[in-house]
Amino acid sequence: MVEKVKFKVFRYRPEDGGKGFYKEYEVPVKKGMTILDGLIYIKENIDPTLSVRYSCRMAICGSCGVRVNSLETLACHTQVLELKRRVIRVEPMRNYPLVKDLVTDMTPLFRKQKALMTWLIRQDNVEQENPTKQYLQSEEELERYLQFTYCIQCGLCYSACPVVSTFPDFYGPQPLMKAYRYYADSRDEGGEERVRLVDRFEGVWRCHFAGSCSAVCPKGVDPALAIQLLRRSALKG
Amino acid sequence: MLARGVSRSSVIQSLKVMLIPGRYGLERWSYVLQRVSGVVVSLYFIAHVLETGNFVGGITVWSVPDYSFAERAYEETVKLLKNPIFDAGLAVVGFLVALHTINGIRLVLAHFGFSLGRPRRPEPFSPPPSFSSKQRALFWLSISLAVFALLYTLDSLMKVFRP
Amino acid sequence: MRERDLMLLHYITGIGILVFGSIHVATIFFTYPFQDTIWETTLRFDSIPYAVLPVYRNALLAASLFGLLLCTTVHAMNGLRSIITELVGARKRWVEALLFAVGVFLLVYGTRTILIAHSLV
Ligand code: HEM
Ligand code: SF4
Ligand code: FES
Repeated sequence: MVEKVKFKVFRYRPEDGGKGFYKEYEVPVKKGMTILDGLIYIKENIDPTLSVRYSCRMAICGSCGVRVNSLETLACHTQVLELKRRVIRVEPMRNYPLVKDLVTDMTPLFRKQKALMTWLIRQDNVEQENPTKQYLQSEEELERYLQFTYCIQCGLCYSACPVVSTFPDFYGPQPLMKAYRYYADSRDEGGEERVRLVDRFEGVWRCHFAGSCSAVCPKGVDPALAIQLLRRSALKG
Repeated sequence: MLARGVSRSSVIQSLKVMLIPGRYGLERWSYVLQRVSGVVVSLYFIAHVLETGNFVGGITVWSVPDYSFAERAYEETVKLLKNPIFDAGLAVVGFLVALHTINGIRLVLAHFGFSLGRPRRPEPFSPPPSFSSKQRALFWLSISLAVFALLYTLDSLMKVFRP
Repeated sequence: MRERDLMLLHYITGIGILVFGSIHVATIFFTYPFQDTIWETTLRFDSIPYAVLPVYRNALLAASLFGLLLCTTVHAMNGLRSIITELVGARKRWVEALLFAVGVFLLVYGTRTILIAHSLV
């Protein structure tokens, strides 16, 4: 069974400037079809000038984050008919510079990750590059951070966060969550250095537990939880 | 610094983000309500300090005044404050104080890492551990007590629920 | 002050408000003329002059009231600082200076009222 659904898609051409506008497209939809399939249909059959970013089409690469009916989601992970709407509004994510149409520039997210040193820190660099033994972890040690490794860096949480929207210097959910992921890793030796990095005005203190990050995360990562646990460490001083 | 390349929102845009919870769910509502109640109760607090100051004679008085002066100051303040608009305002403040306080306790617990679930392997369709049932229960408790405070104050002030 | 210490103070003063605020409400609630309910006599402001005030002629209550004033001032000004800063989108010195000044005024003026109400000055 094929249904007609109206896609109201945000359009923006950098060379035109301005605020951008919405353009409507009629898309025939079958069961199982995703928002991304709809956008690709528009691009192939109606309007080839539409820009969308995607790669894996299976919720793994984290390229296709958009806002669908005012909620952040992966375009490839959202089925059109499950939304049960005749009109579907597709917009780019918030809190990122806009490149074109639905494509956003993710630089702020990656810059903040870098500022928080979201990688494994070891004191002995020689040993880290050429390890001489195994570094085993118990099941418990793994569970402490495992949930946070499921992140695909789609940046949806960063777009949903009301604090990033109003106060763009805030590190935001994903970078702080990533910092906690390493802080909680028994192999990591970042320790106090990590707490010092997030214990700033722009750090954990700007989180007010609005939970929007965890509400939209397509991977069940729960950045809000990680931030509270990070704040707990910072409060202990 | 960190926000290089991102244009800052106007204050109006920011207000919209702060005041409209959208479709993000309960915790986002809590964020909006905690902010609104915080601001309104703060304004009430400032007004309350000024108003009680007037009860004892206003800003020019810095030691215990004689009784007749005090009586006059008192009567004037009462005249100013005794009207249904302030009564209704007080009921709203009662609602917001109850909400902010209980929700505040919930947030203190959360910010210190208590009453949240533990990190666990993500499972489809299960809510994030930070949206724990303890946290949710405290939120609804704050709403319940706020509604109770509202009804109770209205009843005391305007006898709405009495024959 | 570091942001961490300010926020720690925010939580502590929040709990302080809870404690002193309960005493404050209980004072109004349980002490003065029970003609109808105490809310009516105090909330409607139609009791006799200084209706509530004699109750406060107690140094311990004065102290708890001062505690409430102190906690609420610190908590409210710090909360407003957080909200205004996030609303403006950047830290502004004038916001922090203004809130500090308002806080000092509230503390001084409120303390005066408490002292007068307790006939301590
Ligand atoms: C007269 C009473 C009170 C006033 C005027 C007041 C004022 C405020 C203000 C203006 C905020 C800022 C809102 C924000 O940052 O989102 C706030 C936040 C908060 N308040 Fe209160 N408050 C009062 C009582 C309490 C009590 C009794 C508690 C708890 C025991 C409490 C706990 C909190 C918490 C946890 C926050 C959130 C801080 C954050 O999100 O970073 N407050 N309050
Ligand atoms: S935490 Fe979730 S929403 Fe945020 S970037 Fe990672 S996968 Fe995306
Ligand atoms: S296209 Fe890879 S996550 Fe959607």
